[in-house]
Amino acid sequence: MTQTRNLIDENGKRTDGRGIDDLREVKITVGTVKNADGSAFIEFGKNKILAAVYGPREVHPKHMAQSDRCVLRCRYHMSPFSTDTRKSPAPSRREVEISKVMREALEPAVMLEDYPRAAIDVFVEVLQSDGGSRCAGITAASVALADAGINMRDLVAACAAGKVDEKIVLDINDTEDKEGGADMPVAYMPRLEQVTLLQLDGNLTSNQFNECIDKAVGGCKMVYEIQKQALMQKYFGNETELKEEQQ
Amino acid sequence: MYDVKRRYVIPGDKIAEGNFRPLMNVVKAGNALIATRIGIAETGRDGVKVIPLSGVYIPRVNDLVIGKIVDHSSLSWEVDINSCFSAHLPAQDVFGRDFSPARDDMGRHFATGDMITARIMAFDRTRDPTLTVQDRDLGKIARGEVLKISATRVPRLIGKRGSMIQTIEQATQTRVLIGQNGIIVVTGRTPEGIKLAVRAIKMVEEEAHTANLTQRIKVLLNVPETPTPQQETQSRAPIGAPKSEEAESTIEGVEEELEVDEK
Amino acid sequence: MSSSRRSTIIVEHLRRQQMWDSLARGKRLDGRDFNEQRPLEIEVNVIKKANGSARVKLGDSEVIAGVKVETGEPFEGLENKGALIVSAEVLPTASPHAEPGPPDEEVIELARVVDRGIRESEMIDLEKLVLVPGKIVYTIFVDCSVTNADGNLFDATSYAVVTSLLTAKLPILEMQEGKVVDTGKTQPMPVTTVPVSITAARIGDYVLLDPSSEEEGCMDARITIDTADEGFCAIQKGSTGSFTVEQLKKAAETARIKGEEVRARLKELARNG
Repeated sequence: MTQTRNLIDENGKRTDGRGIDDLREVKITVGTVKNADGSAFIEFGKNKILAAVYGPREVHPKHMAQSDRCVLRCRYHMSPFSTDTRKSPAPSRREVEISKVMREALEPAVMLEDYPRAAIDVFVEVLQSDGGSRCAGITAASVALADAGINMRDLVAACAAGKVDEKIVLDINDTEDKEGGADMPVAYMPRLEQVTLLQLDGNLTSNQFNECIDKAVGGCKMVYEIQKQALMQKYFGNETELKEEQQ
Repeated sequence: MYDVKRRYVIPGDKIAEGNFRPLMNVVKAGNALIATRIGIAETGRDGVKVIPLSGVYIPRVNDLVIGKIVDHSSLSWEVDINSCFSAHLPAQDVFGRDFSPARDDMGRHFATGDMITARIMAFDRTRDPTLTVQDRDLGKIARGEVLKISATRVPRLIGKRGSMIQTIEQATQTRVLIGQNGIIVVTGRTPEGIKLAVRAIKMVEEEAHTANLTQRIKVLLNVPETPTPQQETQSRAPIGAPKSEEAESTIEGVEEELEVDEK
Repeated sequence: MSSSRRSTIIVEHLRRQQMWDSLARGKRLDGRDFNEQRPLEIEVNVIKKANGSARVKLGDSEVIAGVKVETGEPFEGLENKGALIVSAEVLPTASPHAEPGPPDEEVIELARVVDRGIRESEMIDLEKLVLVPGKIVYTIFVDCSVTNADGNLFDATSYAVVTSLLTAKLPILEMQEGKVVDTGKTQPMPVTTVPVSITAARIGDYVLLDPSSEEEGCMDARITIDTADEGFCAIQKGSTGSFTVEQLKKAAETARIKGEEVRARLKELARNG
């Protein structure tokens, strides 16, 4: 889409005061849903998103089970009060698509073959949305999976980059998403260096595309550090000795 | 004690590089050994493993488990063992080879709702776990208070050679049945003793990974610091002592404390 | 809820082995190069009752798209633009695995990604499709029916939508005493650019353009890239695998170059169709 007004001012400040390479504030709390096997609550800018994992557990209905691996089921859902205008609780086509790409972003990391004939259910609930909710959701879901003790090859961190005022910026917010030139959400496995989610909505030239994907991956690496911190904090708390013991 | 390197890891962390054997919760990717779960990574002579700090119970053959009878067919009881897999106790295991559904009433032997101690006889990727109660100390649990902890905390609750659980049992005059699947049954002389034992068990679950836990448990139980002759010569293995490698290789904190105790 | 599932096409191990051996020698099972699309056949104006239509055959994947022009209210927040709605359906005729019923997540994804390519490229100048600003606008429906599924429905469907729009005859409507009246005359759709969808599948380290359904049954991951005149306008990574950043950059570059070729073909078709 073509922009109608300037979204970055003369001082290089965006609509929320950030510079073009600044990530919004991200806070992750692990284990907030007591009944779940694993959970995480994330605040990504103004996004407030809850991820809960149940599993591995028995598959119902039984015929859906697969004999040699686990079935991963994901649901991305927005609460009716999460957006500016009330959203109907029924799943929209957008939520169906996002549930799918979210599952496809997490599957490469989860070792499904370790849990044959079982299911792992991932529920992502957007309580308040502000641009980039699918990235925040994937980030929280990955932490929740680790919290549940599910075998994973790597964590999955997600972050979007985009084009605003013809500049490539990191982590676009709601206004930039609605009025800006392009939105590219990316999910990334940092150790394996693999992209598991890539979408583009908007217009980018070849050079802009390359710059945008590099910037988004850089953002994913920053998000990964926050995920790591949150997990270490919950599980190892103030036990610093073991933390510092290196090979 | 041989040199064992330990550190905290999250999934995806590289633990070591080189010619090490990947053991539990570790995968080998090229030359690197990678953790697949949150826990404490140990690199030792026999390989690299991660002791997990979270996760549901995944059955292993020979594990002692405590389960609840939830149903029965004409050939076996269905047992909930707090895992993602439902377990079966074959009727033949109890009634013998010449079991006959007409003559032997399954519902009378184990009824729905009964708690049993059993051992996992068989389990592989293609079928659900099969149990047996043919062993000393296995079978129906007549009474006691039931609680559930995370299966990953069971080794810490038992302690090295049973030291942690024995401390709790002695101080509270209780007997604690521990299933590898995280189900625990406490019986005892007094209700206060049972309540205190339950509190201690919950404390171990919450603080399993911290140092000086034994100290704090002893404070909770009002146990004197100096070891009494009784504790040192205690040789009864606690019910639920696992045969797997997990109990031997416990978290650093436990071993440090025990070295202090045995001074 | 999105559930992981087995691929409905189970490719036998022997065939898979054949595929790997072939790829190692630089060719695909059907003899194509890695960057070669299957034969593309397009027929336009196949549905007389529609304002525009096209039947596309990409290999054996077949999609029919029909354009219907109506009037209605503009979308919220877009009062000075006409409305464009692209949807898709995989008919039960399309394969032994297709079932009648509400669209599943794969079809919803297909429709949304195709729609995104058309919308983000601003292929149709929607500002020219307003009758009464804020109240009455042209509503363009493009509906696609997949009649035979043999891999790469993303590209086949996109080409069907694009050519049906390129060759559609827009009825010229005007307001007379507050009512919408059809003047009986037509004009071409106000087209600004021709977006082209290029889809590739990754099998091991090989990235193959226009995957057949057999290749989709063996693929690790898929990437659909829509290009328009200035560059990329929509991208969707699909399936449960992953790509390296380098593979993605390379795929984007290939899509841009290949896209130009296909664009020229689609434009020519529009001229002659």
